[in-house]
Amino acid sequence: MYAKRVAIGALLWLGCQTGSGAGQTPRARSERAPTEETVEVKLCDDRTTTTVPKDMPPTRENGQRVADSLMSQWKREHPNQAWEMKVTQSHPTIPPPADNRKVLEGAQRTDQTYALFTERDVLTWERETLKLVQEGARVFHDAEAMEGTIGVSCDMCHPDAANTHPETYPKFQTQLGRVVLLRDMINWCLEHPVKAPRMEPDDPRMRALEAYIIAQRKGVTLEYGKH
Amino acid sequence: MRQVARCWPRVLLGALMTLSPLTLGGPAMGQGGPAARGMHGATPFEQQLAMLDAFGLDKRPLQQAPRGVDAVVWAASIPADNALTPERVALGRRLFFEPRLSADGTVACATCHDVTKGFTDHRPVSEGIKDQLGRRNAPTALNAAMLTSQFLDGRSPTLENQARLPIINPIEMGMPDEASAVKALAGDAEYQRLFQRAYGRAVNFDDIARAIAAFERTLMLLESPFDRYLAGEKNAISAEAEKGWVLYNGKARCQTCHPFNLSNPLGSDGRFHNVGVSARHQKFEELATKALELLEKDASIHALDRLALETDMSELGRFMVTRNPTDIGGFRTLQIRNIGVTPPYMHDGSMQTLWDVMDHYNKGGEPNPYLDGGMEPLALSEEEINQVVAFLFTLTDARYAEENQRQMERQQEIARKKRPFRDEAMAFGRRLAFEPVKKEPRP
Ligand code: HEC
Ligand code: HEC
Ligand code: HEC
Repeated sequence: MYAKRVAIGALLWLGCQTGSGAGQTPRARSERAPTEETVEVKLCDDRTTTTVPKDMPPTRENGQRVADSLMSQWKREHPNQAWEMKVTQSHPTIPPPADNRKVLEGAQRTDQTYALFTERDVLTWERETLKLVQEGARVFHDAEAMEGTIGVSCDMCHPDAANTHPETYPKFQTQLGRVVLLRDMINWCLEHPVKAPRMEPDDPRMRALEAYIIAQRKGVTLEYGKH
Repeated sequence: MRQVARCWPRVLLGALMTLSPLTLGGPAMGQGGPAARGMHGATPFEQQLAMLDAFGLDKRPLQQAPRGVDAVVWAASIPADNALTPERVALGRRLFFEPRLSADGTVACATCHDVTKGFTDHRPVSEGIKDQLGRRNAPTALNAAMLTSQFLDGRSPTLENQARLPIINPIEMGMPDEASAVKALAGDAEYQRLFQRAYGRAVNFDDIARAIAAFERTLMLLESPFDRYLAGEKNAISAEAEKGWVLYNGKARCQTCHPFNLSNPLGSDGRFHNVGVSARHQKFEELATKALELLEKDASIHALDRLALETDMSELGRFMVTRNPTDIGGFRTLQIRNIGVTPPYMHDGSMQTLWDVMDHYNKGGEPNPYLDGGMEPLALSEEEINQVVAFLFTLTDARYAEENQRQMERQQEIARKKRPFRDEAMAFGRRLAFEPVKKEPRP
């Protein structure tokens, strides 16, 4: 319902949903199995699972417990895998977008209106880009914004978006059995450890999540297909 | 006062109207003021001020960015030597409505940028002292604080610089020089006090312009139904307008030149494009040759100002400033905030309705060698045109809601009778620009 509401409206209003919309959306509680006593939660790997009581309040503390339980199992099974696990930050650090001031240096082309840039252009690019990434950070850290049902958010296992490896997409993901894009993997993780509904590719929250995850890997070499 | 939006209680308005002559002061405003001598079609200033008061713009904390504007970009748009203070804004407001800044005491900024008319004059081209007509349509002064250049050819870089020009332009306010403008106010004890309080100096021309600019920075009207829609209020605009927004971003290609975002919420890219408005009635090459000769002698901003407002060379647009052939007929993309209440449209005021504007874009603009690469036939159906127009009418600030409604009905009525720019054969690529027009049966 949320997706539909914003799909057309905010389609191109990049990043302008900051602080509005998502937080006010009624939560999709119907996602839970109604009759069972417990809900099964799967990790992004589609194997590791844990169960939580059906009526567990979806608070951040409970969510963190679920995430920790899944991760300790996963780490036992992958003793050699490097997994970064810093303290989760409520105020995420975001590297600044590229400094484009260079386009203003020296003589600019004057024969093409589209190739003439101003201070305002450069500032606009910087601010709008940063705001989309900031919005992504908010969603990434907020189970409710993702309509998660068990209080788990991405940052609980991916502090500062660590271990998400956006630079390796597109790549073949065995969980999904095909070559996927970053957003496919985000959707997978939304459905699995976060227990939230999938997002439309144009959902402003999806665009923001993708932006944040990529921004956190600033400077890392692009190596699509890498495992 | 029918233009005032319904949400402003009439009682309050009445009270403000009785108060306004007091807040105004200035001797030229009273009985001997411009009302008596002909206002060049402007709404009486008392009435304009009452409407402005009811907008409640003075309630916004001056140190904060206006709603709908990125705080960092806003701060960057204010010059260091003209920080916003209540004293400067109050002085600027007074000067904006000050006919003594004109040679014959009949013209103020508010003559052509009339509050009740969305800060325009609703004329194709503006009229200054001695009823002289210029060559350009007055764009709105609303939100001008966020523009990256002023005037349609960008000849002025800032509001502070812009405000100096109309005062001494011979066909606008017509003061012989800057000193005369200062002299007109310097003897007034009230102004002496206000300038001291605002800038700590005696009356001087730089501060006249600075104060006006400070006042203009309060004229940010960005609270429209469309903004509520973006904030998640789905019913703030009609389903028709919603489809128009999708077209605006897609098939109709408006977003390319009229972008919206928090850092730039006006719907203008600040660039100069030849969208083929002036091509209808101009011989660009002849004009350009003449212009180059004249500019060789004098290319000062005052010369540019006069050529733009008083001669056919107005149609050369940006070329006059850069003398760059690719800028011939190029104009700065106009903002489309509050567009419903600021007809007629384009730099020459040649389009009466937003349907005319859409007809113009639909056929890809008027062909000419300097036409912008972003223009092409759009093949929009009549239904789609209506959708984009419906969307454009949602960009009007709530404080002009009533005037917006009135304009929509008025424009609809005009468009039903005539659509002078409509050319479906070109819009749908059935006829190329060089082929003669054939009468087509209406679909
Ligand atoms: C409970 C812990 C946990 C949570 C919560 C979680 N993830 Fe993961 N995520 C993992 C683990 C473990 C892997 C590695 C899986 C694998 O290697 O098969 C992973 C893998 C990924 C990958 C693929 C990384 C790669 O190397 O290709 C992405 C992208 C990702 N997660 C994004 C997210 C997003 C976005 C969220 C929130 C919507 C999220 N994750 C929530 C634990 C978690
Ligand atoms: C005689 C009518 C007239 C008067 C008086 C007048 N203006 Fe204008 N104004 C215009 C016209 C016409 C233009 C467009 C001129 C051009 O583009 O070359 C304009 C342009 C502007 C712009 C630029 C807007 C944009 O989109 O670029 C601003 C700001 C402005 N005027 C403010 C003022 C102020 C402040 C005053 C008083 C000092 C004033 N005007 C007096 C007619 C007038
Ligand atoms: C190639 C860039 C470009 C594109 C594309 C474009 N515009 Fe414009 N627009 C301009 C420029 C430049 C002007 C000022 C032209 C002039 O005055 O001669 C303008 C003027 C306008 C005006 C008149 C504003 C006023 O105050 O008079 C409206 C309305 C408008 N455009 C709406 C639209 C719509 C709707 C679309 C999409 C169908 C669109 N524009 C596409 C550049 C563009």
